[in-house]
Amino acid sequence: MLKLAFQYMRYYKSQTFAIFSSILLTAALMSGISSLMYSSQKNDVENSRAVYGDWHYCIVSEPETVTDLDTDAAEAKAAQEETGTGFRLEQCAKAQMVGELTEPYQIRFLHVDDAYREMLHREIIEGREPEAADEIAADNYTLVNLGFRGDVGDTLKLGKDSYTLTGIVKSKWTSGADEMEIFVGDGFSGAKNSGQKIYLKFNEDKKLYKQLEEFQKEYRIPGDAVEANEGLTMHLGGERPDSIYEIVKFALTDERGNLTYVILKLQSDYNLTFYGMIVLLWMFSMFVIYSVFSISVSKRKAEYAMLQTLGISEEAIGGTLVLELWLLFLAGYPLGCLLGNGLLKVGYQRLRGVFTHKVIGGGKTAVSITDRIAAQGSADWANVSKESPALDNAAQGSAASGIFASSGFSVAWGVIFAGFAALFLALAAAGFLTVRAMRKYTLRETMMGEVSFFRGRRRVYSRRGANLANVVVRKFMFLNKRRAIGILLSLSVGSCIFLCTTYLVENLKVHAEMSLKSDDGLGSEYRMFVKSDSLADTIPASAVEEMKKIPGLSQMYATKYTLGELTIGKEQLAWETYFDEVNKDSYFAGHYGGICVDKGDETFGIRYGVYGYDAGMLNELSDFLLEGEIQVKALEEGNKVIAVANMDGQGNYDFYGIHPGDMVTVRVPKKQNCPPEVLKFDSEASDYVEKELEVAAIVSRPLAREDNFLCINGWEGSNTQSIIMTHQQMEENFGITDYSIVNAAPVSGADKEEISRRLLLAVGDVPKAVFRDYAAAIEAQKNYLGQQQLFFTGIAAVLLVISMFHIMNSMNYSILARRREYGIIRAMGITDGGFYRMILWTGILYGILADVLISFTYHLALRSVMDYYMTHVVQFLHLTAGIPAGVFAMVMVMNVVIAAAAVMIPARKIAAGDIAVEIGG
Amino acid sequence: MNILEFCHIEKVYGARENQVRALHDINLRIKEGEFAAIVGTSGSGKSTLLNLAGGLDTPTKGRILVKGREIGSLTRKELTIFRRRNIGFVFQNYSLMPVLNVYDNVALPVTFDRGRQVNHKYIEELLKELGIWEKRRKYPGELSGGQQQRVAIARALANRPAILLADEPTGNLDSATTIEVIGLLKASCRKYSQTILMVTHNEAIAQTCDRIIRIEDGQVLKRRTGNVRPESPAEEGGDRVC
Repeated sequence: MLKLAFQYMRYYKSQTFAIFSSILLTAALMSGISSLMYSSQKNDVENSRAVYGDWHYCIVSEPETVTDLDTDAAEAKAAQEETGTGFRLEQCAKAQMVGELTEPYQIRFLHVDDAYREMLHREIIEGREPEAADEIAADNYTLVNLGFRGDVGDTLKLGKDSYTLTGIVKSKWTSGADEMEIFVGDGFSGAKNSGQKIYLKFNEDKKLYKQLEEFQKEYRIPGDAVEANEGLTMHLGGERPDSIYEIVKFALTDERGNLTYVILKLQSDYNLTFYGMIVLLWMFSMFVIYSVFSISVSKRKAEYAMLQTLGISEEAIGGTLVLELWLLFLAGYPLGCLLGNGLLKVGYQRLRGVFTHKVIGGGKTAVSITDRIAAQGSADWANVSKESPALDNAAQGSAASGIFASSGFSVAWGVIFAGFAALFLALAAAGFLTVRAMRKYTLRETMMGEVSFFRGRRRVYSRRGANLANVVVRKFMFLNKRRAIGILLSLSVGSCIFLCTTYLVENLKVHAEMSLKSDDGLGSEYRMFVKSDSLADTIPASAVEEMKKIPGLSQMYATKYTLGELTIGKEQLAWETYFDEVNKDSYFAGHYGGICVDKGDETFGIRYGVYGYDAGMLNELSDFLLEGEIQVKALEEGNKVIAVANMDGQGNYDFYGIHPGDMVTVRVPKKQNCPPEVLKFDSEASDYVEKELEVAAIVSRPLAREDNFLCINGWEGSNTQSIIMTHQQMEENFGITDYSIVNAAPVSGADKEEISRRLLLAVGDVPKAVFRDYAAAIEAQKNYLGQQQLFFTGIAAVLLVISMFHIMNSMNYSILARRREYGIIRAMGITDGGFYRMILWTGILYGILADVLISFTYHLALRSVMDYYMTHVVQFLHLTAGIPAGVFAMVMVMNVVIAAAAVMIPARKIAAGDIAVEIGG
Repeated sequence: MNILEFCHIEKVYGARENQVRALHDINLRIKEGEFAAIVGTSGSGKSTLLNLAGGLDTPTKGRILVKGREIGSLTRKELTIFRRRNIGFVFQNYSLMPVLNVYDNVALPVTFDRGRQVNHKYIEELLKELGIWEKRRKYPGELSGGQQQRVAIARALANRPAILLADEPTGNLDSATTIEVIGLLKASCRKYSQTILMVTHNEAIAQTCDRIIRIEDGQVLKRRTGNVRPESPAEEGGDRVC
């Protein structure tokens, strides 16, 4: 059998090469993309490790237990390494809060061990560890906030006490970087019992949640004492996943369950995108290989039938085919993997951000620590810049690249081996199925070759004046429907993927732009805002006027803000469970009595940000419109407002069932410098201004916003609950004249450093004002988008090349299989030109049919799937972009050109041949 | 008047040690209206001669004149059009288009001439003449061998060619059908004043033709004067001089 397989491979060289090439190309595509995705995921893990710390779980524990646990854990680690069962603790760190300051900021005093510094990336980067009672170390962020302008060794006054700064601690990456921490040594005499945490890092080769369970069991640690480092563990399977059966059962039986739930759940628990993509690529690979193989086999079916008449069994023929496939596979697959991974490794530096989920502009990235505290004035800012270049440069540099740490390119060996095994088995099945398919015909029929018995419509085409040559071609084309469908699919697949990726990228651009707008406010490079927990702290109108005079600014938007309460009926609250969870947040509970409070009169009071936008901003807000109309004049004349809808986890929007034209009740504190208790909205009615306002429009996101509900220490949430009106309405309704947020963008080519400096000067005297520079973030966003575009276009191009290879092969066979008939037609007197036209018509027809198929598939099915995916799974803001008409037309024309080119190659071969030979053959 | 002339035709296939001389110094004249049979053993060169006559192949040496025009001097396109208008082919294996019904198979060569209308009356007449009018909507796969060969003859006659070249037209047929097909060829030859050059293995069929041309080892055998079988009406042999 092996000898026979070799002989066939040698004899049918071109077909052997075609099968080999199809294996090589598809292996390159499948393994390459898998590795790229795998590398990006690994990169994500490394980034998360850098951003959120190199720990998996944190146990909040009593002090005595902490000491015991620490020791025991270390012992357990050693023990488990030997047995290889249960949990394997890689690292364990301890942090003890030994004091706290509330003024001028919330500052914690921490006593930590070396492991903590390593795991949470809080190493001393300058100076030494504090030791004595009056020694401390801190990061630049904290020092800047505290107005410290000295060096290591200088004295810093905190509250009533003075401390010597012994070292500078590396700053945090996270959004929680707003938290200010002071590190103390063993000699510090603070309250050592005020709270301790143990940070655990398990072995990542084993399931983390199982190790945690074992750990908890071992040390009898209750579940509520454990906090997960979700930023990191979400990539490593930190929680026990629901079984697929449970997920599907929930979707089918629970009224909240639906397809989106299943997809999102599979994504979070089973990495659906990664494995889904691999399965799709595998299917595509199998389709191409099988198709090319089928064509190769169909050329020699007669010979196999002949061999059977000589007594060779069906199994032996199947074995020969499988051996042939396997031999080619064993050679082609590793080479393909080498090719795909090699090429992508080279291009990885340009593409590594493609699958990375840390999109700059989300407000949860390193950008937040590029804040330049301006509260102390421009002179201080100048000092900060000089004294802590590492902080700013690192943040800016990382933000610009979009990646904080890179794990390099990693080969997805698991996928490569699994793909190898799956293709190996599938090829065996393909070989035997091919032989089985031959059973449809008798050996005589198979040996004769032409086994198709045409029985079409009885129409006489010549009586209708039809071009019979074209009729012949068309009928030949569809004589083998499977082959015709295969060619059409090949033509369509590449185009459909290209169209879908174009559609995705176009909407991604819109989404990215809109996200930037809504996250930092209008996609502006500069943002000035007040970092304060008091509504009384604002940016005066005079300061805004000063800023407007700065040359080189293309736009300047100022926003007024106050905290309000929206009252809604109990029956309108569909998200009670969600709000119950949020209400537990200690910050909300402490400051506002919760975010959604039952008023006891069948209504709920929900905390809302109330904003005053200027006309330019309201105009920009139109991009986010879900319902109604945004017209400045109408808003002011009718005292109408714009409401921001809530978005659920599946991308659905709702504003408590309220629509434009409906009325809402909004209460805000009467005085901006009100006592904190007033913000709980349960004080005397006279402390508030209550307004009944008509909703003019509902939008999906606000633009400029107060992110943290006045929480100056950072809050892991995103405050989009907003009621928006005009500046004038803010003044008339609530008497608010000053601003809380100012966004500005430079004109192209402007001196950004100079503008930064001038803006800082303008807000320099405003207490608690913060200047945030988004220039690097915007640049990173553009870079990221460019990478995505490049990648998707690249993938579409590779698929197109593979499809083209398949099309060429199929068309070549399809036409050359009819060379005798075409020879007869030529003998009957068709000219070369007529023959070419006739064949060209086949190609054009294929192209047109593929275009029709693509158009229908794209518009009727794929677009809906993409819309669903973008709306509910990746949750793009608005799907306003379509495929540019030029791109669509180009794809359509390209299909026809490719198909026409594919048919002309064998046509030229036939025309160059001898008619007598063609007929005789 | 000679409608077809072969002058010193040589045809060599292959090169060097693989060279095969298929035809050697063939000189032959076919008169208008003649029904000539080419007979010979397998590999003697009779099909090669037919292909050269139809312009499907080119001679290595020599000239071929069809209706007084040397086909070797024609361009590829001119030759194709000339062939289409003047020569009809009938092949042993019928060579019909399996995807066209009988009527369209017959009309097919006519449609190659741009601007030329299909003469449906003529096609109907042909089909009726050949006894396949009732089968006009059938596909080749639905017909017997004899019926398919009738369709092939009808197709060859569709352009009213001056010359009909038939390569073993009865090779796949039983004896009864063979007689029918030969009768049809002869009838059409008479009716449409056509010249037929037919390659056959069948001596009996050859004997029914006006003339027999015998080929052996790529050469036309000399006319066997004085040895004509009295029962055979056919004149044997080829012309020696062009």
